[in-house]
Amino acid sequence: MNEGEDWVYSETVKDHFLHPRNFLMGDEKKFKCDAVGIVGNPICGDQMKMFIKVKNGKIEDLRWKTYGCASAIASTSALSELAKGKTLDDALKISAKDIDDFLGNLPRHKFHCSILGHDALKEAINNYRKNS
Amino acid sequence: MVYLDHAATTPLLPEVIKAMHAAEKQFFANASALHTPGHLAKNQIEECRALLAEIINAKPEEIIFTSSASESNNTVIRTFEGHQIETSDLEHHSVFEASKIYKGKKTPKLYSYMLVNNEIGEIIKLPNKKDGFLHSDLTQALGKIPIDVKALNLDYATFSAHKIGGPVGVAALYVKKGAPFKPLIIGGNQENKRRGGTYNTVGIIGFKAALEYIKCEKTWQKYDQEVRKLRDNLAKRILKEIPGSSLNTDITRGKSLPNILNASFKAAEGESIQLYLDAEGIIVSTGSACASGDIKPSHVLLAKTGDAEIAHSSIRFSFGLSNTASDIDKVMTVLPGIIDRLQKISTIKL
Repeated sequence: MNEGEDWVYSETVKDHFLHPRNFLMGDEKKFKCDAVGIVGNPICGDQMKMFIKVKNGKIEDLRWKTYGCASAIASTSALSELAKGKTLDDALKISAKDIDDFLGNLPRHKFHCSILGHDALKEAINNYRKNS
Repeated sequence: MVYLDHAATTPLLPEVIKAMHAAEKQFFANASALHTPGHLAKNQIEECRALLAEIINAKPEEIIFTSSASESNNTVIRTFEGHQIETSDLEHHSVFEASKIYKGKKTPKLYSYMLVNNEIGEIIKLPNKKDGFLHSDLTQALGKIPIDVKALNLDYATFSAHKIGGPVGVAALYVKKGAPFKPLIIGGNQENKRRGGTYNTVGIIGFKAALEYIKCEKTWQKYDQEVRKLRDNLAKRILKEIPGSSLNTDITRGKSLPNILNASFKAAEGESIQLYLDAEGIIVSTGSACASGDIKPSHVLLAKTGDAEIAHSSIRFSFGLSNTASDIDKVMTVLPGIIDRLQKISTIKL
């Protein structure tokens, strides 16, 4: 059982899970974006969708949606904080390890879930470059 | 805290804690020893054996103590190494995986079917064993419904203490007199050479206290009346108050254990639901892959529904006798909001 400080994940993970940053609630049309990236599959238990707004080669703003577990939610929340304001090239350089370090280490078996947001962001940037 | 994960492990009954605490001082000696303290410890074990036998309508010599239901299940499957083994997709992994490894072509055949499923609570009609032998994992059934191994026509049955308010690490196996048996742990004279290893006297005394409780309280009646009411009320409220919800447990009387409710919430992922509930002090479990560290979701829900998404979005609420109507209110105060939020951030449309 997980109670208070005995939470199964770190306090930072818990904070990002309970208070996720930059997620897109409800209708996707509410967020005007320049590109979208989607990875994963609900059949496999997780799917991630990333929406980015680009200005002067930088990620001006971004939002995400997920059908995913606590690690996917927390790590994508963390990623969205790390990526905002960065150039597309710098955003692509954010590694899974950076997110892991930022969150204070996710359990090993959760690594797969933690890179979902990462992959979705990459996909969104690729789509942006393809279309511009 | 609202604890609704009794099908995983029950909290220790106060009677059990008291009995075990006293036993730690009183019955520490090796129960196989010939001296007086050893003899007294052995007496306690035999009392537990007789009590379990009485509750399930068996003879004491037909009961073997083990360390876990998984050990009991493995022991039966291993006994039939190289034989035909028939089982179902709904079985616990300790039956399902073991039978995949050990089954062969020889006869007689072993049939292994649980009487009630641990994930969805479904009561299963045991097969006609014909000329083979029949094993049933009764771990979830003990204390929840009356059990008679003779009436069920069983040759083997598995039981566990920690699902009835007893300690983890103590379990039992019923082996009908004359049924084939091959020990899993060899090299000890304990249990008439049927299971080696020093007796876990304190644990078995805890098991005994839990068995006394279920016998005196006739707990199956309480589950059928009081707990069923709570479970059914939660089921109705979930369906009524939460869009996209569906039940994986058939709550019709006679179709499922009265204390298990498995439900799915479309577009919301199970582990996230579980951990948002956890943060609110509500303890449940999920069939989602992510919670188990596995890449596959619950094999039971997959087999039952054929729909991986249903499995990934499932939550099991399992009740004990200490749960109350206010626990249901607490769940329903936070659950609709949690599901609504997850559905709103979901990539899947409702």
